[in-house]
Amino acid sequence: MKKYKDVVDLHDDHGRLVASNIPVAALSPLVNPAIQKIVAYVKQCVAVNLQGVQTALTTGEVGGKWSMLRGRSTKVDLVGNAEAVARDLKETLQVKPKDDTEVKVLKEGKNLLVTVPAARLNAGVEYTTSATAVAAGLCHVVIDKFNIDMWDADLVHAAVWGRYPQTMDMLGGNVVSLLSVPQQNEGMGYALRNVLAAHIAMITRKNSMNAAALSSILEQTAHWEMGDAMGNFERFHLLGLAYQGLNADNVVYDIVKENAKTGNLGDCVKSTVNRAIADGVIRPLEKTKSGYTIYTTNDLNKWNAYAAAGLMAGTMVTCGAARAMQHTPSVFIYFNDLLERETGLPAVDWGRVAGTGVEMSFFSHSIYGGGNPAVFNGNHIVTRHSKGFCIPCVAAAVALDAGTTIYTPEKLSGVVGEVLSEVPELREPLKYVNEAAIKIKGEF
Amino acid sequence: MPEYKPQYYPGSTLPSKNRRKYLDPEYKLQKLRTISDDDLVRIMGHRVPGEAYKSTHPPLEETGEPACPIREIVTPTPGAKAGDRIRYIQFTDSVYYAPVTPYVRAWMYHTRYRGVDVGVLSGRVPLEARERDLEKVAKELVETEIFDSARCGIRGATVHGHALRLDENGLMFDAYRRYLFNKKTGEVDYVKDQIGVPLDKPISVGKPIPETELRKRTSEFRIDGNAFRDDKELISWMQRIHMLRTIAGFDPEKVKGI
Repeated sequence: MKKYKDVVDLHDDHGRLVASNIPVAALSPLVNPAIQKIVAYVKQCVAVNLQGVQTALTTGEVGGKWSMLRGRSTKVDLVGNAEAVARDLKETLQVKPKDDTEVKVLKEGKNLLVTVPAARLNAGVEYTTSATAVAAGLCHVVIDKFNIDMWDADLVHAAVWGRYPQTMDMLGGNVVSLLSVPQQNEGMGYALRNVLAAHIAMITRKNSMNAAALSSILEQTAHWEMGDAMGNFERFHLLGLAYQGLNADNVVYDIVKENAKTGNLGDCVKSTVNRAIADGVIRPLEKTKSGYTIYTTNDLNKWNAYAAAGLMAGTMVTCGAARAMQHTPSVFIYFNDLLERETGLPAVDWGRVAGTGVEMSFFSHSIYGGGNPAVFNGNHIVTRHSKGFCIPCVAAAVALDAGTTIYTPEKLSGVVGEVLSEVPELREPLKYVNEAAIKIKGEF
Repeated sequence: MPEYKPQYYPGSTLPSKNRRKYLDPEYKLQKLRTISDDDLVRIMGHRVPGEAYKSTHPPLEETGEPACPIREIVTPTPGAKAGDRIRYIQFTDSVYYAPVTPYVRAWMYHTRYRGVDVGVLSGRVPLEARERDLEKVAKELVETEIFDSARCGIRGATVHGHALRLDENGLMFDAYRRYLFNKKTGEVDYVKDQIGVPLDKPISVGKPIPETELRKRTSEFRIDGNAFRDDKELISWMQRIHMLRTIAGFDPEKVKGI
């Protein structure tokens, strides 16, 4: 990694100062221990819908919608024996005694949160190890523990794995990882971007600042993996993550606060320009005959970070005021349009966010099908074009929705969001990433 | 450092100046006609006048909200607070000197109104908001100078017509014939709501604005009026944005002081 002189003040989700003059490099996914832990958890953590397995075994309804094996039924009290199942599953997954394997029983036995030991992942090259290990392990535990005979073992497999291997993924299965199977990634390094905004909102329990942070961490970290955050573009992503996702210098929170009571999107644009001028990021270049001032900058990456923070604040004010998520694409287009017209400088992601907004508005407003913003992710065909600056706003907007959609985030996320919200680093990433940055600040 | 003053839009020609004016919330839009609240509700067609607002979720006070620092500080609009459904009003603007172009509509909605969702399509501009918030905004959109009864249409469906020639009375084509020119009054009457469902009685939206006046108020560039190419300042601004976007895509570090 190059050496960067940038320092930022870290703030929490309520806009309170946590630490001053922290090197922005300490927030890089390459070095920040909390971000690395978050990525590790995303790979290692798997949600098990034990109630779902039990229901599937009882009814024979396995492998997704409209798929039922009539006459097949095996009554097994998995929920009632969840503690024992968890204990056996842990033993099955463990590589060494007292390693990092964990199986936590949630919701009175209805769900399990499983942390697969890192040793299992290290012994392979695919992140799918976690899901396959848990699914296979659970099948063995259920068959052994409940004396399932050979003729019903296939039903256990279908109840746990879903329709796989007839399908690419575990369609209708009851073991779910936050990450989709690699075949569903649009290109190299897209794995961390293939996470529904609904999951992010649910994991962070609808705290929009944390939703923005978690989404931004996953999106921007993916850009290191994709080969985008490299060389001249590394600082672009680093500052983007710091300012838009992690509320560096409190820009996001300040702009929201300024416009919280009566402001609109246009006001957020003005606040962004005002802040950028005040912080010396942009300055007037020349005045045209009509009196229009063209602005310039010596640091376009920093301007992008400020604009991205303004975009996040604009989303929070607009979607927050309406308590509705559907405004996100409109914010993407017109925040950037207005910002460019206000300054004469390119807006977020050099126009890619505005372009993404155009596509996303069609596919999120029932014009060409699609779905509500909660189903979008950074791997989605209409939202993948921005370099990590759109989906954090979508996740924040989903968190702010009061229930305006037919397919709610709760319904879309299923057990994954609920179960993974038990992991503190995923639920409150802002806090943990800030703390980790403070710990390693001396290294830069 | 000179004090920052919002400037909204570059350009030196009349459409650019009008765009600046419409985008600036400090500028009060001139009221040209009065439409009663009930008549506006009838034209939009989402509810019967006097009918209670239907809701999509219970009022926020009843449901409570998740612990979120942004929800704590961002005040919900009255419609969001009550849990109103999200409804829409949609306009089609003729290419023949309508006061605002589709994009100007989107920009000005966002500079003037809070918590609104707007999109621009090929021949229509929907504005979506919580129902009671929408009705408040819609009033200003129909009663003021940005609406012309002949060159703007309130159309929920089958919006085609913005690029077609005007009829003998100067009205924009509408396949549903939602509005008619009333020769007796010289006003335009809506006889169907925005979807095309017949109304019980016609609703007047006033006289069309004279062509000479429209040419003064328009924010449209036209080759037979104020051509886009004549606005050198605007063109150079646009070229600048394209240049900067392109250079930044190659290497953001190369943009310094230009």
